[in-house]
Amino acid sequence: MDDKERRLSEYIDRLNSGKKPEQHGEKESTPELERLYDTVRRVRSLREPDLPDRDYPDRLAGAVKNRLARKGRIRHKKRVRLAGMAGIAAVLVLALMLSSMLPLGKVDIVYAMEEAFREVKAYHGILEIVSTNAEGNESLHSKLEVWADKEGRYYIKGLEGWQKGIITANNGQKKWQVLTGRKEVNVFPAFPDAYRFILELGNEIDQAKNALSTKVVGEDTVAGRKTDVLEVTPKGGEAYRIWVDKETKLPLQKQTAVQNALQSTVTYTDIYFTDAIPGELLVLEVPDGYSEIDKNAEQLVNSIEEAAAAVGFIPEVPGELPEGFCPDKAAIVPDTGLVKLYYATQDNETKVVVVQGKADGEFKRASTAVFAEVNGGPAEVQSPVQKEQGILSGGGPYAGMAGISSIRWRQDGYEYAVIGDARMEVLIGFVEGLAGGTLETPSDAEKPSGVPQVKVSVDMEAEQNEQKSVDAGHTPWRLDPVFVAQVFVSLEMSPGGIVGDYPVAYGELEVVENDGAEAVVEVDGDKTPIRKVYLQRLIRQDSTGIWTVVGYDPAE
Amino acid sequence: MPDTGRHKKTKKDKDKSIDRICSETWETVYRYVYSRVQNRQEAEDITQEAYVKALSRWRKWDSRPEKYTAYLKTTALNIIRDRWRKSKSKGAEVNLEAVNPLEIAVEDPSTAAGQRLVMEDALGRLGKEQRSVIELRIIKGFSVSKTAAVMGKTESAVRVMQYRALQALADIMDED
Repeated sequence: MDDKERRLSEYIDRLNSGKKPEQHGEKESTPELERLYDTVRRVRSLREPDLPDRDYPDRLAGAVKNRLARKGRIRHKKRVRLAGMAGIAAVLVLALMLSSMLPLGKVDIVYAMEEAFREVKAYHGILEIVSTNAEGNESLHSKLEVWADKEGRYYIKGLEGWQKGIITANNGQKKWQVLTGRKEVNVFPAFPDAYRFILELGNEIDQAKNALSTKVVGEDTVAGRKTDVLEVTPKGGEAYRIWVDKETKLPLQKQTAVQNALQSTVTYTDIYFTDAIPGELLVLEVPDGYSEIDKNAEQLVNSIEEAAAAVGFIPEVPGELPEGFCPDKAAIVPDTGLVKLYYATQDNETKVVVVQGKADGEFKRASTAVFAEVNGGPAEVQSPVQKEQGILSGGGPYAGMAGISSIRWRQDGYEYAVIGDARMEVLIGFVEGLAGGTLETPSDAEKPSGVPQVKVSVDMEAEQNEQKSVDAGHTPWRLDPVFVAQVFVSLEMSPGGIVGDYPVAYGELEVVENDGAEAVVEVDGDKTPIRKVYLQRLIRQDSTGIWTVVGYDPAE
Repeated sequence: MPDTGRHKKTKKDKDKSIDRICSETWETVYRYVYSRVQNRQEAEDITQEAYVKALSRWRKWDSRPEKYTAYLKTTALNIIRDRWRKSKSKGAEVNLEAVNPLEIAVEDPSTAAGQRLVMEDALGRLGKEQRSVIELRIIKGFSVSKTAAVMGKTESAVRVMQYRALQALADIMDED
């Protein structure tokens, strides 16, 4: 199948799902494909349009009023700057702009936060984290000085509590942590970075946006500022509350649900908005008497040729980059002989790294990975990355990092991985630019084959409860099909319960098929009474969905 | 504080006008945008953008909304043109409308009905399988796998067939 046929099909799929296709102003195309896209739209015009939700007219009017108000403020901003007050203009303009946003209502409050945060470039605040126990006694857990900007850079300094004196910073090039107790400065790669300080504004707003539900439950005054109290119920988890400043429309306080008889309240006792983090805070300086420990295994190189000379092979470079991306930097990992090519969008908000090295041993997919093929060869897709298999284990850390996905494959004696916080379509664009061929995902490939010889009955109510339990952070092994199969086989062998080691080892099981919703695990060894275990994600078909055994094939 | 009072009244009136304009015209404008972009996400976004652009230029906030529907449509069409043209490669021109956008924006319903007849006629001139694949994939919105199951073909065959069917359909419409 040609690339153009696949692209046309993807275009139809995007329109069918109600989403904007990349091809609409974002991706280069050929005149022939444009003609066919146009034909698709004309055919679709025979259908009745997909109308928005009933509240759309209200949302539209609210957004229009809000944006028109903002336009007025921007004009004001320019005048202030011309008057030579550049230093305070941003703060003034922001305060003025935010004060005239939408009135906070149950529907609009999250949108208002998003719009308000869109105008923020950087901020500086003092965060207090207070714990409350079951008896209602409060204690100051820690107090932090926070600097953060929209490009993911930050500087966090512990002022009081157990983090006192500890500095954690990321300047986009590297991340470091100054540990006063050990007199050490640990240096890490800047990307990916799992560190998220609590009540990071962008992250908090994203969580509210993606929540199952949000509702305004009252008003309150926090740090002398009037706020609306918003109850947020996340998908799979306990409800928590955030206090949203009525003037700035940004979160000022967060109170977690009670966990293990403790509840945390995090408050910006002071916060202001600025253009940038002061430059001197984003320079790594090792204090006198401290030792620098470089945990950043990679070493930057100036060119592909330099990388090639260091690792002994010429790295592949994507023939064509996905729209909006440009090369950022190149590095090698001397210990493992890997090359890492970094790419970023111009606003630096989205990053992708291409890791490559000589193939070593057999290609094994991570047990949690979805099966795929690149140019007909084996590949795995992880979204998010849950396990570091093969080349990922030498280039990381990546596993467990929120929003980081990967595609890994073998080709011509080399192993490649594309990892990033970009959308999967973008990662696929990198893969195809590198491989010069297509990535066949499970939707393209065959469904897991075969029917179990013995079916296992499933109690759906129990599975629903189990899913809730996993969502709350318990029994995470239910997310790993190999582990679920291992427990199932072991219980078949020891129906009375497992004491000590499992009768069948984890290493004796291997996923042989996985499309993200259905998987087949083969069991090796002489002792096992079961040769194949068939599993399905019955409750939710994504990386957060639990696996359930639905059948098996006995050993011969 | 007479000035402040007057300002507040003006802003309140302006907000009321925006509410009225949006509630009375949104569906016409949205349907117009949707007919061009054929997806809800982009249609909602461009509709909003059109109102912001158009309303930021208006000064008479008490004007009757229906008078402005054509202007909103024209603004929307210009936004689509601007967005889709931004990064198109050389020669890959977007075929939205080849005529004056203002004329298109005030097109009468009979034109749309006429275009529908042309399309239905063109579909009728395709072979049975080609017509089926277009109906299933585009008009009914089936996935490739479901279409393949209904037609008894492989998914790859469906993709190839839909490509050729759309080529044939585009050729028929070009001839006309």
